Order: sequence, then C-alpha cells, then structure tokens
Amino acid sequence: MSANVSMRDALYEAPGPKTRRRVAIGTGISVVLLLGLIAFVIRQFYVNDQLNPRYWSFFARWTTWRFLLRGLAGTIRVAFTAGIIAMILGLLLMLGRISHNRPLSVACHVITDLFRSLPSLLLIYFFFLVIPKYGLRMPSFWMITVPVALAASGVLAEVFRAGVNAVPKGQSEAAMALGMTHGKITRKIVLPQALRIVVPSLVSQLVVVVKDTTVAYVVSYPDLMQNARVLISNYDALVSMYFVVALIYIAINYATNQFSIYLAHREGTSIMSRTTENPV
Amino acid sequence: MGVTEVFTTFGDVYLRSVLSTWLMTAVCFAGGLALGILVTVLRVSPVKPLRVAGDVYVQLFRNIPTVSLLVIFVYALPYLGATLSYRTCLLACVILVVSSFASENFMSGINAIGVGQIEAARSIGLTFVQIVRLIVIPQSLRTTVLPMTNLLIATLLTTAMGSQVPLTPPELTGMVNYVNSRSVAGISAFIVSAICYAGTSVVLGWLGNKLDEKVRIVR
Repeated sequence: MSANVSMRDALYEAPGPKTRRRVAIGTGISVVLLLGLIAFVIRQFYVNDQLNPRYWSFFARWTTWRFLLRGLAGTIRVAFTAGIIAMILGLLLMLGRISHNRPLSVACHVITDLFRSLPSLLLIYFFFLVIPKYGLRMPSFWMITVPVALAASGVLAEVFRAGVNAVPKGQSEAAMALGMTHGKITRKIVLPQALRIVVPSLVSQLVVVVKDTTVAYVVSYPDLMQNARVLISNYDALVSMYFVVALIYIAINYATNQFSIYLAHREGTSIMSRTTENPV
Repeated sequence: MGVTEVFTTFGDVYLRSVLSTWLMTAVCFAGGLALGILVTVLRVSPVKPLRVAGDVYVQLFRNIPTVSLLVIFVYALPYLGATLSYRTCLLACVILVVSSFASENFMSGINAIGVGQIEAARSIGLTFVQIVRLIVIPQSLRTTVLPMTNLLIATLLTTAMGSQVPLTPPELTGMVNYVNSRSVAGISAFIVSAICYAGTSVVLGWLGNKLDEKVRIVR
C-alpha cells in the first residue's frame, strides 16, 4: 500500500466476496434510509404548504436578488474591513508578545488571551449597549466591524505566533551570530517567512469572521441576514428565505475553506486555527 | 453603577446565569461529542453513501453561521410542524455545530496515526475490531485532547447565541442586555460577564493542557 492511501481505506483489508456482498447490502439499505430522510423533509415542506409557489416565486425576480446581493456586499465589506483590522492588530499583538520588553510582552499576552476567550457577541454588545452610554456614538458599520475584528485579532495573534515558531530556530541564531539585532532579525528573516506560512490560515480565519458578521442585525447594519429579514416581512415567506440565506452562507464559507486548503496544499503548510493552537 | 453594586443588585441572577451557561456548555459539548463520534463512524465506514452523508453533514454544519441555524430552528421549524422551546432550539443548534467540529477533530486524530501502524497490526494478525479498539481509538483520543479543549472553550463562547432568544435565566452575554435594560450599569455588567467567560476559559485551558501533558503521544 502506498503512503498516499487515506486512513479511511487503510483501515480495511481488501474485501473478499462475502464482505463485498455485505457492503453492497449495506450500501443499498443506507441509500434507502438517506432517500427516506430526504423524502421526509420534502414531505414536511409539502404537508405544511411550504412548497407553495408563492413562497418561492419571488426568487425568480431580479429585485429580490439585487437586494440580497446588496446585503451580501455589506457582509463582505464588514468581513474584509474586520479581517484587515484583525490582521494588523493581531500582528502587533504578536510582535509585542515576542518582544524582549517584559511589561509590553505580558500586556500583549493578556490582551490576546482576553480577546480569544470572549464571545464576539459580548464584544458587539459592548459597542452597541455600553459605549453609547458614555456618549460615544458610532455608525452601525463600525459597531459590528470593530468587535468582530477584536475577537479575530486574538486568534490571529496566535496564528502569527505559530507562524513565527515554524521558522527554524537555526536561522535566527545564524543571524544573531552575524551580529544582527533582535528587531532586524524579526523584520528581515523571521517575519517574511512566517507571513508566508500563515497565509492559508488567514484565509480560513475569514470563515469565522463571516460567521461573526451574521449578527449584524443586532446593530441594524444591512448585511445579508438583515436584508433577508426585510424581505421576509415584505414577502411573508420566512421558511424559504431563511433556508436560502443559510445555503448562501454555507456556499461562501465552504468556498473560502476549500480555497485555504488549496493554498495550504500548494505552499506545503498546514492550516492553523482556534482548534490547533494552544488553549487560552 | 460599579461592579460591586451590580453584584448586590443582580448577584443571584448572575449566579444562576453563570451556572446556566456552564450547564449549557457541558450539555452541548457532551451532546456534540456523542453526535461527533456517530458521524465519524459513518465517515470511516466502508459504505460509500454513509461516508458521503457524513462528509456532507460536517460541511453543512461547520460552515453555517450558528445564528443562521438558530433562526431556522426558532422561526422556520414551527412552520414545518416542529415547535421547540427556545432552550431546546439553542442546545440543538450548538450541538449540531459542535458535533461537526468534533468529527473533524476525530478524523484528524485518526489520520495522524499512520497507515504503517495499521499494516503492522494486520501483519501480526489483529482483527478489524482489535485494530480499531487497541490502536485507532486510544491514539486518536490522545491526540485530540488539545483540539477538544479548544472546542470546549469554543462551545462556551457559542452558547452566547442564547442572547438572541429569550431565556430565563439569561446566559452571560444576555445578562449584559438584561442588566442594561434595568439599570444604568454601563460597563460593569460587561466586565462581570467578561471575567466569567475569561476565567472559565483559562481554567478549562489549564485543565486541557494538564491532561494533554499526561497523555500526549510524542511523534
């Protein structure tokens, strides 16, 4: 067996005639069960009159999609702005943490772990409910973008740190032997390589950011979900709209994930995320 | 209103809120693990349709935003003949999402074992059941301690979605709303909730690291 065989297949020996028959029977039964499940879902839609064309026909209208796409543009605007802020802030937090300045390093460590251990919704409530009480009024765009960015920056700081750690230690030692300063080593040797390593992880972190933006309706920012809610009250078609919107989100996130996997594969690196790094 | 006043006025609600958050986290994590194991079994089974179904399940629930799933459970399911309580909806949603990530963790734990070990096991005559019981399960459990600790913390953070539906008592994020709508607590309510989340995460992370040190496989 070659090393490329996935573990899924490696678990089983080459099947004999008996096993093959059993697998065939299992395949038949499972197909029937799965089709039954799908049929049950469709039946639930049908008996509750949710397949009625009046709940679906407006999806054939361009105006519906234009409004949804405008919402999607809002989602993308928030996600990218938050992503860029999180990247800059995450990089700064990581640089502060690996610096030789002890107080700065401890402060950045605490901030990183704090942002990682708070739900983005709590941060959104902070900017939506708490900040205005002190007389600071922010536009709804920033009320959703800033907290989402803060929540992501903690995770990204750890991703950057993992990238820095992945650069072989011998290189910075060699640079030190040449008389380069700590700052120069970080800037010229470590960071350029570390940034390359983390690119796939940054892309995959966009999925988390997009997910976090879905509560933009809390601050009434017109993103995809908020615009879908407007359409629901216009067309009185709740079920179909919520399912379509969920599928749009799944498609976007799936595509982003696959893209990051492709990048990781091409670069020969692995994807670092909240799951792979050290717990808080 | 300072932090101490928030405690004297809302102390008992906060206590119930913390306990409720912890309980929901525990239930969702346990449920997510159980369902995740089931899905993983489907994904490594030799039956093709079950594998595909397991893969599709994981892709669906790891890519759907939790709030999108929650609105389907709370608002759409009643139209389809299933009305569930707010708390049931929340728990079901978080469990579905957590199970997909748990299955991903299990799969990478299994993939980390290495084909050579399975071949070696087979060459000394172990049966399929023995291979799974003695080689695959123990090793994949040991390598997934850290990812699962992270998933547990992520579960804690995901229960914050409970603030989007009315719950009594509200969970920690909903408490900020609860306190702010009843007094001028301002930043204090936020600080108390933040400390509860951060404290819980730190303790869970520390426990996870301890456990991982004990069982880690050095490869």
